[in-house]
Amino acid sequence: MTGEVVLLIKKITNFATVIFGVLLLTFLLIHLVPGDPVEVMLGESASTADRTALRADLGLNQPLITQFGSYLNKLAHGDFGQSIHTKTPIIDMLKTRYPATVKLAMLSLLIGIFIGVPMGIYAALKANHWQDIMVTLISVRLSAMPAFWLGPMLMLIFAVWLGWLPVSGMESRTSIILPALTLGFGLSAILTRMTRTSLLEVLNDDYIRTARAKGLDEKTVILRHALRAALLPIITIVGLQMGSLLAGTVITETIFSWDGIGRLLVESIEKRDYPVTQACVLVVALSYVLVNLVTDMLYRLADPRVKFGS
Amino acid sequence: MRGIILFNRTLLAVVLGLFFLIPISSATSVEPTPQSREIVFAIGNMPLNLDPRYATDAASERVNRLLYQSLVDFDAQSKPAPHLATWLETSPTEYQFTLKQNRAPFHHDKPLNAQDVKATYDSFLTLKDSPHAAEFTNIQNITVLDDDTLIFKLKQADKHFPAKLLIGILPADLISKNHDFSHQPVGNGAIKFSNWQNKLSLLRIKDGQKMSLIEVKDPTVRVLKLLHGEVDLLQGELPPELVKHLQSKPEITVKTGKGANFSYLGLNFNDPMLKNVKVRLAIAHAINRSAMIDKVMIENSRIADQILPPEHYTNQGFSHPSPDDYDYNPAKAKQLLLEAGVKLPLKLVYKTSTDAQRVRFATIMQAQMAPAGIALEIRSLDWGTFFADVKAGNFQIYGLTWVGIKTPEIYAKAFGSQNFPPNGFNRGRYADVELDALLAKEDWQAATTRIHNQLPYIPLWYEGQFAAMRKEISNYSPKSDGNWDDLATISVGK
Repeated sequence: MTGEVVLLIKKITNFATVIFGVLLLTFLLIHLVPGDPVEVMLGESASTADRTALRADLGLNQPLITQFGSYLNKLAHGDFGQSIHTKTPIIDMLKTRYPATVKLAMLSLLIGIFIGVPMGIYAALKANHWQDIMVTLISVRLSAMPAFWLGPMLMLIFAVWLGWLPVSGMESRTSIILPALTLGFGLSAILTRMTRTSLLEVLNDDYIRTARAKGLDEKTVILRHALRAALLPIITIVGLQMGSLLAGTVITETIFSWDGIGRLLVESIEKRDYPVTQACVLVVALSYVLVNLVTDMLYRLADPRVKFGS
Repeated sequence: MRGIILFNRTLLAVVLGLFFLIPISSATSVEPTPQSREIVFAIGNMPLNLDPRYATDAASERVNRLLYQSLVDFDAQSKPAPHLATWLETSPTEYQFTLKQNRAPFHHDKPLNAQDVKATYDSFLTLKDSPHAAEFTNIQNITVLDDDTLIFKLKQADKHFPAKLLIGILPADLISKNHDFSHQPVGNGAIKFSNWQNKLSLLRIKDGQKMSLIEVKDPTVRVLKLLHGEVDLLQGELPPELVKHLQSKPEITVKTGKGANFSYLGLNFNDPMLKNVKVRLAIAHAINRSAMIDKVMIENSRIADQILPPEHYTNQGFSHPSPDDYDYNPAKAKQLLLEAGVKLPLKLVYKTSTDAQRVRFATIMQAQMAPAGIALEIRSLDWGTFFADVKAGNFQIYGLTWVGIKTPEIYAKAFGSQNFPPNGFNRGRYADVELDALLAKEDWQAATTRIHNQLPYIPLWYEGQFAAMRKEISNYSPKSDGNWDDLATISVGK
């Protein structure tokens, strides 16, 4: 137990180091890209005196290290600042945008798992039969469909032709279905192939033969013995995908007018709204690190032989 | 074996069930298309800031024209015209404004008076980060004579001063309370602000007509939403093939009109090659503007010769050089390049944004210029990088559009040798003593002729405007500068 506490502390230290690194890198990169926040705020017709005054007011005339220190100090006090363009407190923007992304990510992940894992199991059980080939074909097709094509196709079919769902937006409760399917289908393709491969590796192992010899029914053998052993790589993939989903899926969010964090991040970069960009990158980095932590914990649940943090 | 079969069936049932469950559940819960007759307007970019002292993006300015009223507006020929007030030039440095009697009160029911006008313009003195503040630094003081009358005293004479008073008037009581006009606008325009969450909800004062603006970035999705009935109205920002598609749909009305937004190629005069007028002429003759207008632009687009369109008041009463002077003639272009001593092919870098239509224009120009001996390399950059490069003079050629320009002072700002960035919009760093003199005299005829001959810009076109709406929508037409003023009159039938 003590060893695990030490490992947990190690994890948290790593966590803090990664976040600090991300903050520093983002801060430096933002100062390297072309564009100037004062120019963005004052436009082209402002006088040099006004520009200088505003630069001093915002602390942009300070050395970079001082600016970074001041930024960290504000962050430590929960102050993300406000958007240059909209004058909205960034914390308010994150409060609306991030939950929207989490909601979409969770539903997409569920769709991906509910389609991908059963299809992968089915393909493994029917390995090298026509059913396996069909499943493989479907998963290859799904993974080959980019969101910017699949999204409009789903809109055309389910919204315009069938009239079942809204085309895009967030006004209706059902608005989430099409973007979630767009993301979920792609994810399911990856999970299908991963589940099939992992399961095939364990299906011929001795302990599976033993389980069958004990007279266990096939459902129990597959779900309780084989699938559990095959879960580790699936958890890895799910963790990685969840991280990228929480980072925001810009194309899907844009196509479906889904006000998530990915769209906010890209828009802030385009508009050189630096405080918003920094805040979004921080949230995305935190999401990745947290998902990795949860993935590590799930490893242990799936296979008790795995030591936490090892 | 039997177990496997059963298990397979279970799996199949789960997968199929998921597919069927979604449409069934959604079919029962899908919300109806707007039958409550709120008019829904889909736009490519949401307004960023509804405080007229800060707004610079097109969407914010278009909404603010409906939420607020300014002292001055422009008439059909773009001459400054009284809006909320009439004015009298009492001396070269003094203007007296008299508010109209039948003016509407603010949306929070307080009357609008001269104190509100003074408070609005005085507030620029304290706003350090307003992009419009520089326009009003020439105001020495504002004196209120009575509820209806006030005097603007200027530091220096400015006969174009009234044309600058386009800022919507804000209520003085809320200015003093540092009210957040950016997100809770209060003006006295025809439309009142209701709410701004995912959509911007508005209410027309005269009849209570509700309307909302929703942001739909993707043009194809905007079209699908219009066809599905989720939105009632679209305006601009669609590729011509989608406009043609909409024109073929019986449930959709498409209205088009002439545009006044000027698209051009900017040239860098720090580049020794582009300093040569023959090279600039060659580039002009290497672009087939008519073909591009015919094939890849919406109807009512027209060839441009200068920033301000032919119907502008400065263009009335004298004959202009013809835009046809620069017809597509690759042989002539090549000859001009050879005369200029250029070794062919002339390699030029063209910078543009990532907008699909702009990249398409660039690709067509690249093909058109090749027979003239110009090898055009296209660099498509994200907006922030592209615009920063343009302002920094880090380009050879770039493509941009002037939107909503009304006053002839733009010629001085865009071509005057005192107006290099960061002090103006002369991004090509063009310096011409003769043109400076003409601009100083405000001899617009001679100045535009000089610009036509010297080609500091390669003029392209005024892109046509269009609006697409559901059949039941009426009283809405696109305007030449793309404004949304007709939201004040739009109506919806059954």
